[in-house]
Amino acid sequence: MPTILITGANRGIGLESARQFAADGWSVHGCCRKPDAASALTAIDGVSVHALDVTDFASVDRLAQQITDPIDVLLNNAGQSPRPSLEFGRMDYDLWAKLFTVNTQAPFKMIEAFHDHLRRSDRRVVANVSSLMGSIADTSRGIVPYRSTKAALNMVTKALSGDLARDKIVIFSVHPGWVRTDMGGPIATVSPEDSAAGIKKVIENAGADANGQFFNWTGETLPW
Amino acid sequence: MLITGANRGLGLDFVRRLAPEGWQIHACCRNPANATDLQALAEQHDVTRHALDVADFNQIDALKKTLGDTPIDVLFNNAGIMETIQRTLSLDHTNQMFDTLDEDEWMAVMRVNTMAPMRMCEVFVDNVAASERKQMLMMSSIVGSIGSNATGRWYHYATSKTALNMVMRSLAADLKDRGITVMSLHPGWTQTDMGGPSAALTIDESVGGMVEVVKALTPADSGRFIGWNGEDVPW
Repeated sequence: MPTILITGANRGIGLESARQFAADGWSVHGCCRKPDAASALTAIDGVSVHALDVTDFASVDRLAQQITDPIDVLLNNAGQSPRPSLEFGRMDYDLWAKLFTVNTQAPFKMIEAFHDHLRRSDRRVVANVSSLMGSIADTSRGIVPYRSTKAALNMVTKALSGDLARDKIVIFSVHPGWVRTDMGGPIATVSPEDSAAGIKKVIENAGADANGQFFNWTGETLPW
Repeated sequence: MLITGANRGLGLDFVRRLAPEGWQIHACCRNPANATDLQALAEQHDVTRHALDVADFNQIDALKKTLGDTPIDVLFNNAGIMETIQRTLSLDHTNQMFDTLDEDEWMAVMRVNTMAPMRMCEVFVDNVAASERKQMLMMSSIVGSIGSNATGRWYHYATSKTALNMVMRSLAADLKDRGITVMSLHPGWTQTDMGGPSAALTIDESVGGMVEVVKALTPADSGRFIGWNGEDVPW
């Protein structure tokens, strides 16, 4: 039975991913800041729920010590939203720094902390939930702080693909689509169920050639 | 032109080349009193030195007060760091390798290389808009090119330059209506304090090439990432 660790598993794409992997017989470690308030997550059979604030790096290290199983798939899903969008002339640099910690540094920290768990597993996959908004080639106006943290996450993915290849670990970024979550809002075009199913398929299909790539949730590659 | 990090390396060479051509240059660096090369240029040309640590946004605001509404044709965000300790771009940056995350150091690099250029552009946008050329330049690096990176290493620096390119692209879109051209430069691996003595290019070759690129810029180039040799660098 393969094992997946999901951050930000209490809602949205993380929650739906936990549901779908658990339903498929996977052993799921679902992490969120407040398990007491995560009734939908705790209600899923086959999910071990862990309290984790991904920006608290000491607690990331503690969790890595507590979990002894090999981790086949690390799904770095936790992220902070593009709102407020912080338009030009109204930047909030403290908030930008916070976004950078959540969206860029924390996934890197998770990979460091669970490197050994991945190395001991059969599948050895890291999926970083990025965003098309982090595609430099695709950029349009505004929302720079959020975009920059996702572009930086894509660089983490690409640069780590070289380091992790030595351990035959495959790492990629995945754009979840514009999803009807708390982050995406009600008029978004993709359901959490479809997005999570798409991401699950990308994860399950990830061979060596997926290393260092940026995928859409539908499986095509996206430009940097 | 207003240029940051003008006391040495690439920044100093831009001043050295452009000042004799009659450019009026506001040259910024952390310690003008120690910047003897810059001082020598200021004695001969229209070069005004300003104390500016770009990581200290209060100092950016203070510089804005000093310059007031002076038009700035070219705002050149040249200042950048590899890390807060000064070292050259060697292959053994053990503090920027996988498995040795130093989040505070990483954030310090982000502040200087990514956030400070954005702050400079926010504070001086009206000065640039009031000028003839209306250009904002970012000193980026191919190390920040996701498509070119396959090696790992220099994570702090690499991600900060990737994020800077994203800042550049978004500003190019945001400021298009005001007629402002925004672009990133890749200087090549150059024999500066950062690049080290074994780098491939002399400062003269690198800046000579970049000056040609900058002089040829038109509004159609906004949003591009161009190397010292005139070639586009992949994202």
